Amino acid sequence: MKRRILVVEDQEDNRAILRDLLTHAGFEVLEALTGEEGVRMAEVLRPDLVLMDIQLPAVDGYEATRRIKAQPSLRAIPIIAVTSYALSGDELKAEAAGCDGYVTKPFSPRRLLAIVRGYLEGAG
Amino acid sequence: MRLRDLPIALVARTPARVQTKLLAAFLAMVVLLVALGAVGLRLLSGVNQQTEGLIKLQRKIAAYRQVQHDTTGQLYAVASALLSPNERTLEGVLRQLAQFGYDLDRLQFVAKDEIELLVEVRKEYDRFIEIVRRVVELARSGHAAEARQVQQAEAGPLADRLERLTNELVNLAEADMVAGIEASEQAYARSTWIVIGFALGSIVLALGLGYVISWSVIEPVAEIEGRLRRIAGGDFTQRARVVNRDELGSLAAGVNRMCEELGRLYEQLEAASRHKSEFLANTSHELRTPLNAILGYTELIQDGIYGEVPERIRAVLDRVQGSGRHLLGLINDVLDLSKIEAGRLVLSTNDYAVPAVVHTVVTATEALAAEKGLDLRIEIAEPLPLAHGDERRITQVLLNLVGNAIKFTEEGEIVIRVETTDDGFHIAVEDTGPGIALPDQKRIFEEFRQVDSSSTRRKGGTGLGLAIAKRIVELHGGRIWVESALGRGATFHLVLPRQAVAQRLAA
Repeated sequence: MKRRILVVEDQEDNRAILRDLLTHAGFEVLEALTGEEGVRMAEVLRPDLVLMDIQLPAVDGYEATRRIKAQPSLRAIPIIAVTSYALSGDELKAEAAGCDGYVTKPFSPRRLLAIVRGYLEGAG
Repeated sequence: MRLRDLPIALVARTPARVQTKLLAAFLAMVVLLVALGAVGLRLLSGVNQQTEGLIKLQRKIAAYRQVQHDTTGQLYAVASALLSPNERTLEGVLRQLAQFGYDLDRLQFVAKDEIELLVEVRKEYDRFIEIVRRVVELARSGHAAEARQVQQAEAGPLADRLERLTNELVNLAEADMVAGIEASEQAYARSTWIVIGFALGSIVLALGLGYVISWSVIEPVAEIEGRLRRIAGGDFTQRARVVNRDELGSLAAGVNRMCEELGRLYEQLEAASRHKSEFLANTSHELRTPLNAILGYTELIQDGIYGEVPERIRAVLDRVQGSGRHLLGLINDVLDLSKIEAGRLVLSTNDYAVPAVVHTVVTATEALAAEKGLDLRIEIAEPLPLAHGDERRITQVLLNLVGNAIKFTEEGEIVIRVETTDDGFHIAVEDTGPGIALPDQKRIFEEFRQVDSSSTRRKGGTGLGLAIAKRIVELHGGRIWVESALGRGATFHLVLPRQAVAQRLAA
């Protein structure tokens, strides 16, 4: 069965790149445009991994991560934060919100793919 | 308000110029001096009068004594004349009578207060003179026995009475004299106390005036001075509190107005600078978003996700990627610097191993060095303790230093040395490049400076790297500098404290 990755990202370009990259790599890609939608899709679809953009309107990536990690049944899903070119301190904030990993934009698709594979293989 | 402050505040609030106040104080002191002089003179003339009175008394006493003496002399002369009455002795008695009269006149002149007593004395003397004349007449006419009888019966008792009266006069005068001396002593003591009191009063008043006036000047000057120092230090919040209604008051008001104006300008300037930094930060963020897509898609195409890529297009894609990364570097540098200037760059500190940072940097740059045929060596004096600071930022600094060394060196080697010092770590990046002239060694750490602007174009980079590196190192509480000479390579030194102390950068 294909591994499912939830991409929470409001920008079409970035979503498209992630979609093309991950689909080509053999994953099934689920897409959410807002924080709330991301939390809801995580609850319903139970993805294997979440790529969470931090700068989202209304509910931001930190808050969405906290809400997902607050649910015991979802806690095991690895969440990788994707932030803008690091404002220092973002790393710590992401960690505090419960993110498992941290990637800064602009990211190299190649490297992102390696990180994603690392988490999924590590998780079994 | 303390008691001491009351007169000072009073003087300060007096609406007159400082000059006028000083003049008034000096005038007051002059008036005091004049008054002191006048009192002294008056007392002196009083003492003088007393002395004159005493001298007069003394003269009077002398005159009374003379009269007494004359009376006794007269009696004696008459007695001896009667023992051997001849013309010579009798003439002598009459001459003495004339002298007697003169002495009595002098008595009248001297004495005025004991008039009653004097009138009596005069009358008795007149009688005495009359009797003596009769005695002399009797003696001349040969009635010696009769003359002796008159003398014994009338002249003798009269002389006794006269002596008693003159004695009384002398006693009276002497009593006056004693009283006069006593009064003069008392007057002297009183004068002494008056002068001392007046002098003490003047001194206290003069000191008080001086104290009050000088403090009414010194206090506002000190207040204004303190305020100016704070303004110089960038504190525009407080006002100089000066109650004076003189030049100092208006000076303080002027300083306050200036402070307000400066504070307003400073705020505007700060706001403008903040807006500029925020604008830069936002703009560079906005610029990066589409760039992210360009770089992302380029990599996806290169990786053949959208199909096989012909060799010719692959070369073009490499150029697109290279230019994109360069543009990204520029934007990041601008963002970094604007964040630092806006005071928004906060270090996220952790324990980290310095050798790990060095190895990361070498891994990232060795390909570039190899391409130019340069040796890239590491010399680390192990074992090193862990460092505490922002590992990512320190990596960025070292990456910049090593990247520059590779960029500017055409042949030879680049050596990265790490050692511990008393207060932390010392990292040196040594190259065999063209070197940096002395005047340029400070400038290269300023924004948008490279040795010459043509090298910026030739070598790439924004010229912001070293400025950012310097700020990051200073944020850690460390130092960065360069040692170099033209033609003999350059060594960049980096000293970091073991524990990064969060520093606020001076604007």
